[in-house]
Amino acid sequence: MSEQFRNRLMLVVALVLAAIYLFPLYWMYITALKTGSAMFATPPKFLPSEPQWGIYADVWQSRNMGRYLWNSLVIAFGAVALISVLGVGCAYVLARYRNIWVDVGLFLILMLQVLPASLMITPIFVGFSQFGLLDTPRFAVILAIAAKSMPFFVVLVRATFMSVPMELEEAALVDGNSRIGAFFNIVLPLARNGILVSAILIFMQAFGEFVYSKSMIQDIELQPASVGLNSFMGPNTNEWNNIMAYATIYVTPILAVFILLQRRIVSGLTSGALK
Amino acid sequence: MKRILSSVTDGKGFDIGLVVLPLGFLFVMSGLPLVYNVVMSFQEVDMFSLGSFARPFVGFRNYIDLFSQPETRPILFNTALFVVASIGGQFAIGFGLALFFWTNFPGASWLRGLFLVSWVMPGLVVGAIWNWILSGDFGVLNFLLRETGVIDGNIFWRSDPNYSLWAVIIANIWLGTSFNMILLSVGLSGISKDLYEAAELDGANALQRFWTITLPMMRSTIGAIIALGLIFTLQQFDLFAAITSGGPNNTSNVTQYWAWDLSFRQYDFAKGATISVIMIVFVMFASVVYVRSTRHEVRG
Repeated sequence: MSEQFRNRLMLVVALVLAAIYLFPLYWMYITALKTGSAMFATPPKFLPSEPQWGIYADVWQSRNMGRYLWNSLVIAFGAVALISVLGVGCAYVLARYRNIWVDVGLFLILMLQVLPASLMITPIFVGFSQFGLLDTPRFAVILAIAAKSMPFFVVLVRATFMSVPMELEEAALVDGNSRIGAFFNIVLPLARNGILVSAILIFMQAFGEFVYSKSMIQDIELQPASVGLNSFMGPNTNEWNNIMAYATIYVTPILAVFILLQRRIVSGLTSGALK
Repeated sequence: MKRILSSVTDGKGFDIGLVVLPLGFLFVMSGLPLVYNVVMSFQEVDMFSLGSFARPFVGFRNYIDLFSQPETRPILFNTALFVVASIGGQFAIGFGLALFFWTNFPGASWLRGLFLVSWVMPGLVVGAIWNWILSGDFGVLNFLLRETGVIDGNIFWRSDPNYSLWAVIIANIWLGTSFNMILLSVGLSGISKDLYEAAELDGANALQRFWTITLPMMRSTIGAIIALGLIFTLQQFDLFAAITSGGPNNTSNVTQYWAWDLSFRQYDFAKGATISVIMIVFVMFASVVYVRSTRHEVRG
């Protein structure tokens, strides 16, 4: 068996495995394009005979998706901005020193990373309502997401800072830079890519966040797309093509960003989660 | 004053400022709620006392009430089953895929990364898609199983008490497999090729090499991944909300969904907090295992 033949064979098997694994995604895109009757046909059609391209515009209008997606964007951007401002410096210091306090800080951060949102929402909701934060529900959700996701961000960004050589920073200090100057002029630009990838990962998570928004945002005008999708799915729903069209509009931008940045995201993720 | 100022721009003050601010934020937003959760589990909390701090303490009554409820035991059992089955499925399939992609052919790393789309999708969308795939009458999964002769009649995944939990487990395995695979790939690539060559010279077959080299070398990675899997499955909420809502009759309910359901559907905040306390203790135990297994790398 030649090397080339083996490589081709492996590639074909890999493509088949990927096709099986990603079938649910394909099914979402296909179902969205089906007519009402084609959706419930037996046997199911694996290619839509008369694709209903108009469904996207219909769902966009009838569900008022612009509003939902705007709220998702506001929440995700808010959370990422807050996390970046607070988390970058924290990750930097935790990467630069090695002593008992850094260990304690890292341990606390890793512990906070594991608290499940659906179990923390009860005290957060009651506490926020007592301090009147629920009057600005999107801001309340941003705070809750920031607290939930910041530990993950710090762990990822810390791994990035560890790969920036300390000598460069020391040289800058010798050249007369202040700590702040060295941080902003030398360290930050070198770590920029890692920070950006981590921020994108956090953004994707926040963009799909559900449990905090569902619990804290009562006003439909302020709800994000995940809550909108949930209210779309009743127990006896039969509008599956509409639901899948909604899902398509919601996730396609995320998938596009992911596929574009795939290599960086995967390497950023693996460097942080296990190291 | 000048000394403090120059310390902020130039000395330890700069570092301390960078750390204290975020840690303070985390303390206020995660630490205090954690404590408040424990406090609430010993109080009587309802819609009327929600806004006030002074609430009657009831000792362990919430805990006693909780464990005397008939649904508590099945739900705890469901949680254990959900965690074990999800981790088992994700790990087994993930490891299989990681080993396959480890054979390293052109395009392997790109295709492997593509699998991760399941992990970056919003949980609710994943739930919606699986909800439709698993539908009883028109679900494509039932069709495929029927055509291949695995089943005779349709399985009503979401409404049959025998299958409802498995509906969520299937979706969760799909969601988490790729993450397992990626992390396991990292572990695999850390093993030196020399070991395999030496073993091959000594006449070890593929299975023996896997058993005596791959598994022992991966022990710390596997430990970390199992602990991470435990943490992630105990965090899973969106799939329950999207697929079964814990029904029918709590057969697919798990603690993390039940805690939310008690607080926000039945407005029994005290009991929601009580379950949360119990589960958070569990999760923290898992995270200690995780932190320990990655500790040497974390300090690195």
